[in-house]
Amino acid sequence: MANSHGNSHSEAAKLEQIITEFYAKSLQIVLESRSPYMSSRNYSGEQVVSSPSSSSSSSSSVRPRDKWFNLALRECPAALENIDLWRQSNLEPMVVDVILVQSPLDSDQVNFSLKKDVFRNLTMKERDPFCSNSDQEEFGCEGKSEKIIERWVVQYDSRKVRDCSSSGSRRSSNSSLHMFYKKSILLLRSLYVTVRLLPAYKVYRELTSSGKILPFSLAHRVSSFVEPITRREEAELQRFGFTPVDTPCGRLCLSVLYCPSVSDISSESSTPISPQVIHDYVGSPLADPLKRFPSLPVAGSTSHGSPSSSPFARRHSWSFDIYRSSPPSASFSPSPTHSEAHASISNSSSRRFPPTCLPPHPPETTLVHKKDTSFDEYYPSPAFSPSPSPSPSPSPPIRIPVSHLSKALLRSESAPVNIPEAKFVNSPSVSNKQNVPPSPPLKTTISSTSRTDKSLGLIQTGTAVEKSFSLGKEESRQHLGLKISSNSSLPISLSRSSSRSFPDDFDDSEFACAFDVDVDDVTDPGSRTESFEQKGLLCEPLEPGGLFPVRKSQDAAVGALVLMLRKAAPLCQDFSNSASLSQVSNPEAWSDGIQEPERTSEGPVPIQHVSSPSVMSSGLNVPRTTADALEELQGYREMKNLLLKQGSNSHI
Amino acid sequence: MNCEVCQLKELEVEHFEIREVLRCILHTIVFHRALGLVRPKDIDLELFEITYVQCGDSELEKKIDEKIEQFISWVEKHPNKKSQICLSFYEVKKNKQASWFTNKIERLYWEHWYINLNVAQQARTHSSKSHHSKVVVDPGEGALDERSTRRAALEASLREVLFQIIKFVNEKKDHVPPIPNLEAVVSFPYEITIPSSSDSAFGMDIIKRMLQTGHPTMLS
Repeated sequence: MANSHGNSHSEAAKLEQIITEFYAKSLQIVLESRSPYMSSRNYSGEQVVSSPSSSSSSSSSVRPRDKWFNLALRECPAALENIDLWRQSNLEPMVVDVILVQSPLDSDQVNFSLKKDVFRNLTMKERDPFCSNSDQEEFGCEGKSEKIIERWVVQYDSRKVRDCSSSGSRRSSNSSLHMFYKKSILLLRSLYVTVRLLPAYKVYRELTSSGKILPFSLAHRVSSFVEPITRREEAELQRFGFTPVDTPCGRLCLSVLYCPSVSDISSESSTPISPQVIHDYVGSPLADPLKRFPSLPVAGSTSHGSPSSSPFARRHSWSFDIYRSSPPSASFSPSPTHSEAHASISNSSSRRFPPTCLPPHPPETTLVHKKDTSFDEYYPSPAFSPSPSPSPSPSPPIRIPVSHLSKALLRSESAPVNIPEAKFVNSPSVSNKQNVPPSPPLKTTISSTSRTDKSLGLIQTGTAVEKSFSLGKEESRQHLGLKISSNSSLPISLSRSSSRSFPDDFDDSEFACAFDVDVDDVTDPGSRTESFEQKGLLCEPLEPGGLFPVRKSQDAAVGALVLMLRKAAPLCQDFSNSASLSQVSNPEAWSDGIQEPERTSEGPVPIQHVSSPSVMSSGLNVPRTTADALEELQGYREMKNLLLKQGSNSHI
Repeated sequence: MNCEVCQLKELEVEHFEIREVLRCILHTIVFHRALGLVRPKDIDLELFEITYVQCGDSELEKKIDEKIEQFISWVEKHPNKKSQICLSFYEVKKNKQASWFTNKIERLYWEHWYINLNVAQQARTHSSKSHHSKVVVDPGEGALDERSTRRAALEASLREVLFQIIKFVNEKKDHVPPIPNLEAVVSFPYEITIPSSSDSAFGMDIIKRMLQTGHPTMLS
């Protein structure tokens, strides 16, 4: 057992190295499952295995690092930054705070702010090493509330040197080192599992798995000292202590204080938003859509509205994106493709969405038809497909950008015009890559592809961003129209809000993004979950927003229409009934119906009227048939009704 | 060497939940005992909002699934019984020649995990709800409520079990033998014993286990 005394130094060095690596590994484990934008989850299983995603600088180092504790982890940039700092300050305690950042604002506002925050965060991260947290630290500024939901403490309590060097310890230093190493492996294994069982992991999953824009986010802070927590906060926290591991010279301690009720927060906030947004969008879109008839079916076709809709701008903010693309009209052609893409995407993620897509974009008809086959049950797709081919084209431009981006973007909603820019800004790289070339604007979607699985279309976007880029490129194209919207789910919510009250305030760009997002959401996720809820919600919000926006800018209106169309698709599922009805008569109605199944009753007819003019400009021209026109008219009527209602309610 | 035993809290499951619950528990345990180079794989349960971790070893995955299928078929033959599955880790003892006379190389068990399940009778739950309804929503609201309540309770219990595993792993580290094989993901030999298997070929193991631990492997 006894090792030579000479070894003691090296032993000590080894011990120190193990401890240092333990710090690094534990930090990596924690952040990997708490830092939404760099999580392995985004990469999915592949990451784990290959860690390709992390590719960045770390990739090269992966191997050696993975060997430590026989635990190969995906590279986590946030952790790496901090780890380097920690290597220098060896054996100081390491405190990792996981912070839940929530915006105090209403859901709408929240969404917007979130988006902004996201952007900031992103930038911040890059700049600030300390902010390792991904996204949220930066937020703090805007009145958002931060709450520490987890505090991980890694600490090494060393005995005095004498103890260490005592004969007893020396004797078995070698074996004890092995023992220590083995135990630290066990400790890290249990940490790895524990991190995924704590409530905060649900928050993380929501952030990464859904395309939705959420009113909350996770940030982290790594420091060497414990920031005081108020008693009140502390009272809410529970402690889980891992059994310390004894070393020859001390003990390695790991513990966590966590908030048991965190998951509630996330779940509550997330769901409501998306639905609401949808409604708004619908309303606004409706107005626009009417004008845009052609587009209606093609929610994506925002383009239709875009031109005419300047007044609508608010709602259309998202539509604006669309508009952007649409105005160019040329984009239209592309858009259809997008829509198709969306449809396909939506199918994958959520079948329902596709239908929405279909209706909007007549050009896509082929696609639509395909979709129809699958979706026929729900959607009257056929009708849709014929009608608004034009509209679809515009949609692509919408792109709605990557989910992540979209979040930020979403907020921007306000100015339709800007929106396009915003989108670009946010997702420039993404959009470029993924999307459709045809529609410059195509924000399409990054997120959409990301994860359908979770049911939340929205979620997908967020996580997906990275994925979406990779995954999405193909899909994104498909989704661009629809899926994108899904990604933007968060944005959608934003859009609603924006349309109502905020639109003006917000930057155009943001709004646009938001809208786009919303649209996407609607199609994908929204259709599933949100569709129902949203429908109801949307109706009200939409109306008010719709009225204003319409007046503001035709483009906006167009955008709104596009959005509605997009949204509609998702709704279709839910709305299948309504949609089918409407569809039968008018393709456009479809879109309307889809978007606002609930609404349909109220104002389909009016909407159609309103929208028709604008719509005509962009989308109508293209593919419509008389039947489509009729449908559109109905849709416009509804839109009008909605707008009127909204106007009366919220009119300025 | 000590042989530690961990009796996991009994879970009341419905038939269709057996597979997922067992996968979750077995993989979680093995992950803690797979001390080779592991690339963790997160798995989200479909029935519950729980994420567990696999160690990404296809052989292990296959073996676990096989055992689960065996167990399920056993359950079908023996309804209304509480059942137990045992996951054991051992070392192979080579020294004693005496061991050669026995039909197997001697296994020194250093850990047993007992997973206790109480498979609820389907009829008891609700005649209308057959297991096929796992994903499908039942028509009756009352049934749904009851079902969701029960599901939530099971999820909480399953989470408890997972924490029980984590705590056990944390508290009992000394008995874990040195890592014999660093190349293999699953570094220690293990076996999974289910009631049915105990009936037949595994008699020897069971006897040994009984002698060593005093806990009968077989339940029923």
